[in-house]
Amino acid sequence: MNGLVTLAAAAGEVKGGEAATFYLLAPIAVICAIGMVWARNAVHSALFLVVTMLCLGVFYVLQAGPFIGMVQIIVYTGAIMMLFLFVLMLVGRDASDSLIETLRGQRMTAVLLGLGFAGLVATGLYRALGNLDSVGLTQANSVHGGNVPGIAALLFTKYVFAFEVTSALLITAAVGAMILAHIEKRPDQKIAQPERMRARFAPDNYPGPKPGPGVFANSTSVATPAVLPDGTQSERSMSKILPQRELTAAEAAPKGTEHQ
Amino acid sequence: MTTDIAAETLKLPSLDYAALAPMLILFGVGCVGVLVEAIAPKKARFPVQLVLAVLGIAASLTAIVLAAGTEKVTAAGAVAVDGPGLFLQGSIAVLGLVALLLISERSLERGGAFVAQAAVTANSEADRDQATRGSGATEVYPLIIFSLGGMMLFAAANDLLTMFVALEVFSLPLYLLCAMARRRRLLSQEAALKYFLLGAFASAFFLFGIALVYGYAGRVDFAGIHAAVLDSPNDIALLYIGLAMVAIGLLFKAALAPFHVWTPDVYQGAPTPVTALMAACTKVAAFGGLLRVLYVAFERSQWDYRPVLGAIAVLTMLVGAVLAVTQTDIKRLLAYSSIANAGYVLVGVLAISKAGLASSLFYLVAYGFSVLAAFGIVTLVRDADGEATHLSRWAGLGRRSPLYATLFTFLLLAFAGIPLTSGFTAKFGVFAAAIEADQTWLVIAGVITSAIIAFPYLRVVVMMWLSEPGESTPAVSLPGALTAAAVTIGAAATLLLGIVPQPLLDMTENAAHFVR
Repeated sequence: MNGLVTLAAAAGEVKGGEAATFYLLAPIAVICAIGMVWARNAVHSALFLVVTMLCLGVFYVLQAGPFIGMVQIIVYTGAIMMLFLFVLMLVGRDASDSLIETLRGQRMTAVLLGLGFAGLVATGLYRALGNLDSVGLTQANSVHGGNVPGIAALLFTKYVFAFEVTSALLITAAVGAMILAHIEKRPDQKIAQPERMRARFAPDNYPGPKPGPGVFANSTSVATPAVLPDGTQSERSMSKILPQRELTAAEAAPKGTEHQ
Repeated sequence: MTTDIAAETLKLPSLDYAALAPMLILFGVGCVGVLVEAIAPKKARFPVQLVLAVLGIAASLTAIVLAAGTEKVTAAGAVAVDGPGLFLQGSIAVLGLVALLLISERSLERGGAFVAQAAVTANSEADRDQATRGSGATEVYPLIIFSLGGMMLFAAANDLLTMFVALEVFSLPLYLLCAMARRRRLLSQEAALKYFLLGAFASAFFLFGIALVYGYAGRVDFAGIHAAVLDSPNDIALLYIGLAMVAIGLLFKAALAPFHVWTPDVYQGAPTPVTALMAACTKVAAFGGLLRVLYVAFERSQWDYRPVLGAIAVLTMLVGAVLAVTQTDIKRLLAYSSIANAGYVLVGVLAISKAGLASSLFYLVAYGFSVLAAFGIVTLVRDADGEATHLSRWAGLGRRSPLYATLFTFLLLAFAGIPLTSGFTAKFGVFAAAIEADQTWLVIAGVITSAIIAFPYLRVVVMMWLSEPGESTPAVSLPGALTAAAVTIGAAATLLLGIVPQPLLDMTENAAHFVR
C-alpha cells in the first residue's frame, strides 16, 4: 500500500482517482464542519465532527501520508471522539448552550469577522499556492524506506528532544485529569458493607430494586413512568434527568391481550 | 525488511547534556514530584514537595550559571544555548523561586492558597467542609516545576516545533493551577476555563502559522527560516500570513492587545500566588520566545513586521493604561498594568538591535521582581472572606499598616517609572534603545501612556494614605516567613535595580547575542 500511495502522489499533479475522491469528500468535510458548529444538539455536533475527521484522514492517506491518515482515524475519530460521545451520553445530552447573548451583537460580529478572516487567509493561500509544484515527497517517503520509517527517523533524530519533552505534557495532562476529576475520600467517609446493609433495611427505605420504566407496558419511551398495581405512576421508575412524559388516554387505558 | 535498513542508518543526534541540564533537571524533578504524590504519606507531602522544588530550581540555576558563556546549538538544532537564552532561563529560575515562596505560604490561611480537592463541587457542603480544614493540594509543585521547565525550553527553543511543544508544556500546568483557588472557586474555575479555551485557540493559530512558514521556507528551524527569507522561491504571502499567525500565538501569551482580553479575568480569578507566577515568569518566557523568533528567524523581515508590531505596542500601552484607570479591583488593576508593561517591553524589542535586546531583558527582570512583590502584598490584605481585593477596601490602609502601604506605594511608583526605582531604569533603557533605532513614535506613545497610567497608581496611593480607615478596611495579616521573604526580595530588587542597575545592565549587555 505504501508504494502504491507514493506512486500515486509522485506524479505531482492531482488527477484520476485522487481528484475524484477529493472532490467527493471535500464538500462533505466542509458541510459537516459547518454542521458541527451549527448543530444545537451536542451529540449531533460530535457526529458531524467525526465525519469531518474521517474525511481528513482519507485526504492524508491520499496525499501519501498513510501514517498520519491512520492516526487521524484511529486516535482522533476512533478514540477521542468516541470518548467524547460517551461523556456526552453520561452527562446528559440535554445540557445545551444558553442562547442569550451577554454582549449584544457579539454573535453577528464574530460571524462577520470570522468570514472576513477566512476570506483573507483563503485568498492569500490561493495566490501563494495556486500554481505551486510540490517537490520532494517521493524522496521524503523513500529515503528511510517508507512513510512510517521516515517519520520514525525524524522523531528519533531531528525532533528527539521535542518528542521526549512531550512526555512532560502527557504527565501534566494525567495529573491534571486526576486533580480536576478525582475526589479522595477520607477514611471516615468510607462506607463499609454492614453500614450499607443497615441503611438498606432501615425504615422508610425500599430495599428492593427500583421498578423499570413503563416502556413495555405503555409506550416506546423510557420517559414513560411505570404504572404500579394500584394504577398510580411510579416516579421511582424514571431517571431524574428525563422529563416525565404525560400519557395519552389511549396509552393510559388498560391493555387487554385479546386485541393484539 | 525496510525497517532494518532504517535501524542501521538511524543515529541519535549528539545531545549536550550540560547545556540541556537546566531543563532536564526540572523535568526530572517534576517526575519525582509526581511520584512523591503517589508514595509519600499525606502529612509529609508538603514539606517534601517544597524542599524538592526549591532544590530542583536551585540545581537548575546552578546548571545555568555553569553553562554561562556557552554559545551553541544542540539536540540536532532543537535547542539554542546562548546569552539571551541562558539569561532568560536564569531569570525564570530566580523569579520562579520567589514565586514558589508565595505559593508555599501556609500561615496566612490554613492549608495555603490552594484548594484541597479541586474536584469537589464548588459551594457544596463538602466544599465548605474542605475550605476550613483541608490542607491545600500538593500536586501544584510538580505542575509548577513542569511549567518552569517548559518556560526555559520556550526561551531556548531553536525551531518552531520545539517551541510549540514547549508552549504547551508550560501552558497546560498554568491552566490547571488557575482552577485551584481555595476561595471564590467558581471565579477561579471560570478563569481557568477562559484561559484554557483562549489559550488553545491561540495555540491553534501558532500551529497553523508554523505550517505556513514551513510551506514558505521548507524548514522549521530558525537558521533555515533566516536563510529562506532571502532566497526562497515561494510566494512571500505564505511568509507574511505564517509570521502573522505565529506572532498571534506569541502575543497572546505575552498579553499584548488585542490578544489581551483574557488577562484581567484570569489574573483576577487565579490564586494570587499563581497570578504572580504568571505575571513574572510567563511574561519572561513569552517575550523570550518572541525575541528569538523576531531576532533570529525573521530578522530579515523586520521592515515588514515592525510597523504592525509597533501599532500593536502602541495599542497595548493605550489599552493597558486607559482601562487601568477604570478598574475597581486591585488584581484587575495590576493585570492591566501588566498589559501596559508588556507594551513597553515590546517597544524595546522593536528596536531590533543589541541595545533593544539588552534593555528588554533588563525590563523583564525588573518588572518580574516588582510584580511578584506587589502580588505578595495583595495576598496579605485580607479579611475573614480571604483577600480583600476591592479598591474601596484599601482606603486608609496607610493608617492601619504603614509598612505594607509604604512598600506597595514604592512598588506602584516603580510601575509608574519614577526615578530611583527599577521601573525608571527599565523604561529609560527601552525608550533609549527605541530612539536609537529611529522608533521615536513608539517612545512618544510610551511617554504619553506612562503619564496616563500614573493616574490609577496614584489614585491607589492617595486612597491608601489620605482616606480615613473605614469599618470595612481589612487588617493586613502578618506574613509568614515565606511571603515576607518573597516581598522583601521583590522590593529590594526593585530598589537595588533603581539605584545600582549597572551590574544587571552589564550582564544583559554581555548576554545580548543570539546564536543562529
